Amino acid sequence: MADRAGWQGVVESELRAVGRELLVPPAGDLTAAVRRRLDEETASRRRLPAVRAGVLGRRWGWRAALVALVAFLAVLVATPQGRAVISHVFRFAGVELRQEPGPARTSGSTALPGERQMPLDQARHHVSFPILVPAVLGRPGEVVVSDRGRVVSLIYRRTPYGLVRLDEFAGHLDQVYFEKFVHSRNVTKVEVNGAKGLWIKGPQELVYVTRSGAPAIASARLTTGNTLVWGTGLVALRLEGSLGKAAALAIAGSAH
Amino acid sequence: MPRGVRRAIDDAEAIARAQSGDLDAYAVLVARYTLRAHRAAFLLGAGEESDDVVQEAFVKAFRHLSRFRTGEPFAPWLLRIVANETRNVARSRRRRAALALRLPSAESSGAAAGGPVDEVLAAERRAWLVAAVNALPERERQVLVCRYFLDLSEAEAARVLAWPRGSVKSRTSRALKRLRGRLVPGEQNRVSSG
Repeated sequence: MADRAGWQGVVESELRAVGRELLVPPAGDLTAAVRRRLDEETASRRRLPAVRAGVLGRRWGWRAALVALVAFLAVLVATPQGRAVISHVFRFAGVELRQEPGPARTSGSTALPGERQMPLDQARHHVSFPILVPAVLGRPGEVVVSDRGRVVSLIYRRTPYGLVRLDEFAGHLDQVYFEKFVHSRNVTKVEVNGAKGLWIKGPQELVYVTRSGAPAIASARLTTGNTLVWGTGLVALRLEGSLGKAAALAIAGSAH
Repeated sequence: MPRGVRRAIDDAEAIARAQSGDLDAYAVLVARYTLRAHRAAFLLGAGEESDDVVQEAFVKAFRHLSRFRTGEPFAPWLLRIVANETRNVARSRRRRAALALRLPSAESSGAAAGGPVDEVLAAERRAWLVAAVNALPERERQVLVCRYFLDLSEAEAARVLAWPRGSVKSRTSRALKRLRGRLVPGEQNRVSSG
């Protein structure tokens, strides 16, 4: 028994000695970053009553968000992040808005699963919904079909606003295609051709959600400019670029 | 605390204040525990995402602060959140090779091949031990990291890893046996007598 304790003690003390030498990169100073995040959270919590009364509108405001939260709790719990605290969740036109930090972003290029570039006419055969093209922007420079026809992206590289991207997906409200991580104060309700839409100001973290309901981590990225989300019943659309609200609404209004 | 007393606030006081929403008091805790949390995240496998993991852990810890029981030590409570965040990151990555624990290279540690024989042998032995730890099954590696590299007691390791204390005990002993099993025969006596 003494022998057993002997060898064990030796290995233990050697492990402790090795532990003191292991390479550990220097830690960043996180005090400021943590403070910023917490400041933002407390500030948005204080602003909540204003949001409830105004920005998103009473009828499909936070009560709807709560219903969505309950209805899709299983999905939320099943996400790899295992998010314990979700302050606000809002679903609209295949996009789920959450007010919380997004997932860790992968470095390098990001992509939707199974991206395939093809001509517009060919793309129409690969998706189950009509592809809408905004007349204001004309024919897209690139058309990319992803995830076996679940999403089509029209990419316009040379517009007066720089790069503009339009993602389209089937307009069933019971599926989530993207998760966005936003502040409720950056979201306003708009109207596109008489239908509801959401205008989201500023960059947000965006992640694509696969058929199984799991976020595709490789797709996680920070969006550029502003985003408009709207739907037509058959198609849900997400327009992204450095456009103002008026320009985005004009583009959206011309999509047919 | 009376005004003018130049004493850094202790954990209990910082926690109590942070629980009532004092972000300055929480910043004291963040500054105080960043290094430890970062070391834990890195050694448990967060790799280059360690800073992100720690930041996330501190934000979550603040949100959960109401569940913190007065009087309990802060470090294991925080490290449990760190360990959990690390698992989330590691699960979505699966590049285990990149997570291997490393010692400084022989050249930079001063134990160069030209150094005294004892030093060279000791350096080799340490390198061997780290390689053996890296080769352990994940859970055994984790428990060794907690117990010997993060200097946590059995009870603290159980808290951090969210395992029953019995599992910490049995996995530690299994891991130590496995390490011994890889010792060169005869080595054991020589080492324990020296």
